[in-house]
Amino acid sequence: MNKAPVIELSHVSFGPKHAPILKDIHLTLNAGHFMAIVGPNAAGKSTLISIIAGLITPAHGHIDLFGQCMNRFNKNRIRKHIGFLHQLHDHEPRLPMRVDEVVAMGLAEYASPLWKPLGNRQAIEDALRHVDMLEHIHRDFRQLSGGQRQRVRLARALVRKPRLLILDEPAAALDSKQQEALYRQLRNLCDTQGTAIIMVEHDIAAISDYVDSVACLNQRIHHHAMRGESIPDEVWQAMYGEHINIMAHDKGCIGCHEPPKTTHSHARHSERGESH
Amino acid sequence: MIADFFHSTVMMGALMPALLIGFVASSISCMILAHRLSFLTVGVSHASLAGLGIAVTLSLPLLPTATVVAVLVALLLASMPKTEGISEDSGTGILFAGSMALGIVLLAKANSQDVDMLGLLFGNILTTSPQEHLWLLFIGTIIMISLILYARSWWSIAFDAVTAQAGGMPVAFLRLMLYAIVGLTVILCVKLAGIVLTTGLLILPAATAWFWGRSMLHIWLLSVIGSLTATMLGMMISYAYDWPSGATIVLSLCILFLISWSLSWLNQRVKIAKHHPL
Repeated sequence: MNKAPVIELSHVSFGPKHAPILKDIHLTLNAGHFMAIVGPNAAGKSTLISIIAGLITPAHGHIDLFGQCMNRFNKNRIRKHIGFLHQLHDHEPRLPMRVDEVVAMGLAEYASPLWKPLGNRQAIEDALRHVDMLEHIHRDFRQLSGGQRQRVRLARALVRKPRLLILDEPAAALDSKQQEALYRQLRNLCDTQGTAIIMVEHDIAAISDYVDSVACLNQRIHHHAMRGESIPDEVWQAMYGEHINIMAHDKGCIGCHEPPKTTHSHARHSERGESH
Repeated sequence: MIADFFHSTVMMGALMPALLIGFVASSISCMILAHRLSFLTVGVSHASLAGLGIAVTLSLPLLPTATVVAVLVALLLASMPKTEGISEDSGTGILFAGSMALGIVLLAKANSQDVDMLGLLFGNILTTSPQEHLWLLFIGTIIMISLILYARSWWSIAFDAVTAQAGGMPVAFLRLMLYAIVGLTVILCVKLAGIVLTTGLLILPAATAWFWGRSMLHIWLLSVIGSLTATMLGMMISYAYDWPSGATIVLSLCILFLISWSLSWLNQRVKIAKHHPL
């Protein structure tokens, strides 16, 4: 079993020198680790995960995935171990596809010739069961609601049992109950299958019970807080500006500064930043 | 009349190539609609006039030369937007106009006896030579093998190219392949429907099936059935009334599309009425 870190980024930069999008990013992620990336709009969160997924090439720096330096020759082979869910853009899918066909597209052997049947029916059903969509397996994907489609897309990312799961705001179209269920399932994947997860998310309060660490990103990683560790006020101010208003939090929250009195309401740090 | 049609050696000689073109074009038509490449087919079919012009001017074989030019134009269109920042429809428009102009100039200078201008513009499947039959069979086989090999990858890219790429699929290569195959199919269709009507053969079959298909394989099957029916019908009508065969086949496809559209509209009304009775 390869014990190398799942992700190892060093000195990664992206964008023009006078207006960089990412500056000197260092990041290590081990198997079974669940990491969230938070930061204001245009902080470079989606760019960072696109670099990790090999969708864009950084201007500088080094990327190792599963202990291998990613280059143009091994990129596609390495990416067979990645499950990816990007931000929603196409809200109205056009192609006529059943739910099971959409999930099957995530199988590593999906790109085989038509004469080879896709035998991995159990994996498709398991992935749909994970996102609580098994009962919709034969439905037309176009007829589903936005939240249901998002869960099917997530099943598509899960079906190949990836070693690394990269998620860009996976809960964007889900209600709070579904969001909680999703985070619980992701936590479960890390604990039972050793999947490493890197997830862009805005609502730090919603994820704090489930993730192992939170990286605060705005062009560079200002702070990488582990479970139980606080994020100093100056980090929030560096990310969101001077005029943020720090509210309240509870003890289980990752990243919250120790308050004078503990309350039971979760802070929504990302929203604080947008209030200045 | 039907018996006469099946006894006519000219029609029987043309029927097999016409059915082959109908089969291949309708199969690719599903990909063209899934990837929104309708305008590309217009561009490449008109650009093939340049290939025919070059072939006539340099006394090269018509179909092979046109094939090479069409594939090159399609590949140029696939790479142009990314490298030069030109949108795909503008790039298609530029190449379409430029190569058509080149084709017209070259053909105008050629000996008029060498060029069947009407045949090029509107197609003439009745005058294909045995060599051309072989060439059509060769191109058709390449297209169908590619489709069987890459259909799933192309569906995946049409559904969500970013996720396909992040999952390790060589999206750029597969897209180039698809454009080249569309270029080949255009040349196949030009013989039957000509430069002007080729787009009809490449869009109408899948568009007709799209209302009823519940999966891409389902659409493929319906598209092929519709296309073969329209080809057979078109050939018989063209024989009976002495109409140009390519145009009659495209007209038959249009009629099938209108019937399919109307039935789908009616079906939607019935469903709504069932769920919301007055």
